[in-house]
Amino acid sequence: MTAMIIRRLIQLPFILLAIYTVTFALAWMIPGNPLEREDRKPPEAIVEAMKAQYKLDSPTTFYFSYLKNVTGIAYVAGESDRVVNFGPCLQYQDWSVNELIGGTLPVSMVLGMAAIILALVIGLTAGVIGAVKPGGILDFGSLMIALVGISLPSFVIGTVLLIILAVRFPVFRIGGWGSFGDVFLPALTLSLPIAAYIARLTRLGMIDTLGEDYIRTARAKGVPEYRVVLRHALKVAFLPVLSFLGPAAAAVMTGSFVVEKVFNVPGIGQHFVNSVLNKDIFVIMGIVLTYSTMLIVFNLVVDVMYRWVDPRIEIA
Amino acid sequence: MFKIALPVIILIGILFIAIFLDKPQEPADLVFVNRGEVHTLDPQRMSWLQDFRIAYNIYEGLVRWDNDTFTIEPSIAQSWEVSEDATVYTFHLRENAKWSNGDPVTTGDFIYSWERALLPDSAADYTDLFFRIKNGEAFFEKRSALLDEYKNRPESERTDGAAHALRDETDRLFLEMVGIRAIDDFTLEVTLERPTPYILDLFAFPVFYPVHKGTVEQWVRVDGDTGAIEQQFGWTKPPFLVCNGPYVIALWRYKRDLRLERNLYFWDPDRVVSDSVLSVSIEDPSTSVLAFDSGSIDWLSDVSGVSYRADMLAQHRRYMERNQARYDTLRAEFIEELRGRLGEKDFDRKYGSRANDPYLGYDQVMAQLVAESPALPGERTDIHSFPAYGTYFFNFNCSENFNDGSANPFHDARVRRAFAMAVNKKDIVEQVTRMNQPVASTFIPPGSIPGFKSPSGVGFDPDESRRLLSEVGWVDRNDDGIVEDETGRMFPNVEILISSGGGHEGIAQAISAMWERELHVRTSISIKESKVFADDLKKHNFVVSRANWFGDYGDPTTFLDLCRSTNNNNDRNYQNQSFDDLMARSDREPDPDKRMRMLEEAEAIIVDDQLPLLPLFHRVTVYMFRPGKLRGVSTHPRLTQYLWELEVVK
Repeated sequence: MTAMIIRRLIQLPFILLAIYTVTFALAWMIPGNPLEREDRKPPEAIVEAMKAQYKLDSPTTFYFSYLKNVTGIAYVAGESDRVVNFGPCLQYQDWSVNELIGGTLPVSMVLGMAAIILALVIGLTAGVIGAVKPGGILDFGSLMIALVGISLPSFVIGTVLLIILAVRFPVFRIGGWGSFGDVFLPALTLSLPIAAYIARLTRLGMIDTLGEDYIRTARAKGVPEYRVVLRHALKVAFLPVLSFLGPAAAAVMTGSFVVEKVFNVPGIGQHFVNSVLNKDIFVIMGIVLTYSTMLIVFNLVVDVMYRWVDPRIEIA
Repeated sequence: MFKIALPVIILIGILFIAIFLDKPQEPADLVFVNRGEVHTLDPQRMSWLQDFRIAYNIYEGLVRWDNDTFTIEPSIAQSWEVSEDATVYTFHLRENAKWSNGDPVTTGDFIYSWERALLPDSAADYTDLFFRIKNGEAFFEKRSALLDEYKNRPESERTDGAAHALRDETDRLFLEMVGIRAIDDFTLEVTLERPTPYILDLFAFPVFYPVHKGTVEQWVRVDGDTGAIEQQFGWTKPPFLVCNGPYVIALWRYKRDLRLERNLYFWDPDRVVSDSVLSVSIEDPSTSVLAFDSGSIDWLSDVSGVSYRADMLAQHRRYMERNQARYDTLRAEFIEELRGRLGEKDFDRKYGSRANDPYLGYDQVMAQLVAESPALPGERTDIHSFPAYGTYFFNFNCSENFNDGSANPFHDARVRRAFAMAVNKKDIVEQVTRMNQPVASTFIPPGSIPGFKSPSGVGFDPDESRRLLSEVGWVDRNDDGIVEDETGRMFPNVEILISSGGGHEGIAQAISAMWERELHVRTSISIKESKVFADDLKKHNFVVSRANWFGDYGDPTTFLDLCRSTNNNNDRNYQNQSFDDLMARSDREPDPDKRMRMLEEAEAIIVDDQLPLLPLFHRVTVYMFRPGKLRGVSTHPRLTQYLWELEVVK
């Protein structure tokens, strides 16, 4: 297992370099000039001065100077005061991309964690209930909820929740961030599609496992039913959920554009979209690199957990 | 089971800790939503309204506006003299003005800040406003040339030492050349290129506000390789920011919130109403209205992205229609009372420029009215629209040929005039935007500049527009429903270029239908992302495009300059020697009245005859606030709202 982890960590920089190169090429090709404005144009000389300052005049200069900054080479050489320097934000000049990610990523991560927890609680419960009596009313009910959770877009769910629970019955406040109440509604909205998927995965896995010989053995031995279900069956049925959880966690923890917008959560999700619209190449690169790193690390964590939960599994 | 539960328990633990660490805001006296996220708090580099809105409250310049009378008031300068030829201004700074660290505000701060603005290295958007100061432009050019020369030096001569020497040389040049001089620590002499009647209006504008040299200088680096003075912006955030206005920044979290607290060193604390102000960022416009409706926001300063804005305004109109007579009575009483309190002479002196402004006293009168007559179901009293100092218009590409080399019919002013006459603007503001903005036939909003008489412009006249087009030779010769010229060439497809979002699409569709119907031309609409749109404009890569302009200062040139051949914002590529000459003559004209007449003539060229642009409607500002609950809201057309004037009535 240690060898696996080390191998994966060695791969990491190479994968990131490939991602960096492809993202850079795509970001550079987005049409339009990041320093241009619709209604009022700064003088030509000013635009030239800005381009020079940000090294935006040549793709090769930018590619290597940015690489130097994010890898820490510039820091070692004393040219940068940050180990990983994602550069300045072109649109919001007072902020660096480091500050931007540092300020918004934790918010998205908190929201994402809350959503994952909710999704696990809702999804596992619904899945187990459905599997215990397949075809029963409870199974049908959880299937319906799962269907709604998967098919309704989150801006609909989010807006409906807001109108009911914040405007009609003001239980939660609107557009704030910083307390448990503020986390609940967006986390719930974010969690529903994931919960629905987990419920389906759990139900299928449970139905399969509950037919296995060792379950019959357990029951024959007189193990109470709740222990059979929760301990013996769920442990195995949980494995597909676990492998789904890695990428799902990375996805929700790096922010959701729609949910963050509807609930006005100051997370990183909006920057994914806005940075591309603004052609803010520093922000695009910074966010993509952060997101990729998280995705790779989360997948690794899931693989490690896989082994830990079920030692029979061998992972290369 | 434990193995599965453990990670979940750890997650929940982290979550609890994270949320507990993230303390919610303390309540503030005034909560408002700005127009969007602040881009920078460095006054010299500002160019966005939301940045100015904060700047007015954390910095003070030489002078400021009175947002009630719309006149200029003393600020850091307590008095000033103007030389006979109106080119030399001597400002006497108050000696009790302090920075938020206790340092006095002196002439040196102004000189340092204005030099920053004039350095090409600072890449400040509004640098050209400083070209009104004597030799401002010459200094900018000189520094640019010095930098170019530096970059061409061999590498061994491009060292940190050499770059610093270049900076010292530049500082010396600035003091020597540019028309700003410290007579002593509190007397500042500013010499202008030529008489500029609106110069005090500029000095009230945040790009002319001072920054604290000692603080900013710590974040400046001189680049040995390029010789450039690089500005870093860490100093604009607390705890580093040192400012001289009524408030200091207590907290600033990106796209989240910005909190202002009293500046304890501010020289005039009595005029500051609220102790603390919180600006919350709400990305989604509809969410901001929901938040306002739930009562947590006192002032929503921008409603432009809300799709049901026009419906809310209609609800406000319904209320006003029901109560119009009472409103008029209350307003007449209010003005009578004001006149009685000030005396006839003072009233005229102070409010003369607003004599015919129906929005004078608006927030007080509305407060009274709403108290007497609350809104019925289906009515709204908390949304308000005022005329703004801006115009929405369409650009015609005036180049002789399009970028693909084909002839451009819009090069001919008669064609442009014909297209302008075929547009029914009233329909657009009533049916499309449904905001009832004032229909525009001029570029400069009429009545917005005292002493300036607007020309009449061209109206809606479809018959005349067809006649004009056929006069040029565009007639439907083969009955296919499209006009052709003598050679049989069809009128090129009129593509209307717009940017995505912002409601431009409806307007473009309406106008394209009008042109097809009235003028028998083919049209299409091209929607592009903001940055691509801007790029296309710059390269004149369009036939017709949507545009928008807000004036920066109270003078016709803030609009008319756009039509000068060499202007940086001349997206239309409009070249007219006689217009340029007239503008140049007005620049040199010392008599303010004569100058105004020349500028009136210049606007007439644009809107009566040449039509390089087609004015559609003048802009309005829409605010949301509850009359009686929020006092001190200004209807200044340039949207200058000082937050220290706003009072939340508990």
